Amino acid sequence: MIPQLVTVRVRRSNGRRVRVYLPVLPVALLLSPLLLLAVLGGCVACLVFRIGPVGALRGAARVLWASPGTRFEVEQGRTAVLVSVR
Amino acid sequence: MNEQRRQILEMLAEGKITADEAERLIEALQREQPEAPPGAARRRKARPTYLRVVVNWQESTGGDGPGRVNVRVPLQLLRAGVRLTSLVPPQALTRVNAQLSRSGVPIDLTELRQRDIEDLIEQLDEVDIDVDDPEASVRVFCE
Repeated sequence: MIPQLVTVRVRRSNGRRVRVYLPVLPVALLLSPLLLLAVLGGCVACLVFRIGPVGALRGAARVLWASPGTRFEVEQGRTAVLVSVR
Repeated sequence: MNEQRRQILEMLAEGKITADEAERLIEALQREQPEAPPGAARRRKARPTYLRVVVNWQESTGGDGPGRVNVRVPLQLLRAGVRLTSLVPPQALTRVNAQLSRSGVPIDLTELRQRDIEDLIEQLDEVDIDVDDPEASVRVFCE
């Protein structure tokens, strides 16, 4: 399943909290022209380094599809960072 | 109660068979279908889906306070990542091998087969690493 929401939470040492919720699909649609360019750039890079572009795209898609459920949480004293993919 | 046992008891109730015959039939039925030991289904473990790494430590010398790292990675993501390694070009692997051997780590990455790594990930569900230190603890496990 494609990731739907990426949540980033940051707690700074002064106690200030920042929460960012990124809905993946709308953001991807919004950035689709840039994504297209990035994919083209990636394909060129694959050809330069003699890597199969189809295989690379398939691998990247597999990683993307498998990413929901990932969670990174780092806390040190009063500071904390949380990245969660749902 | 299963259907065959019920039929035998009904036949006994209707007087079609005697009690001895019913007993023999039930015994034969039990021999055919040995009952599963109690709790066998419960003992069958569900396959884990996540690899967890949890690190806790007490206050460091810098005075930053205690810390905690909590990482949860889907095993499916590990598998996808392993499949990506097949895209690494051979010339890159050769250069990595040369650097590794120069650093005193004589590992030949070209000998590392994808199937082996996938098998390794398959067996990760049995992994439970627990390191306890007075100032820190590390736990790596699957759930």
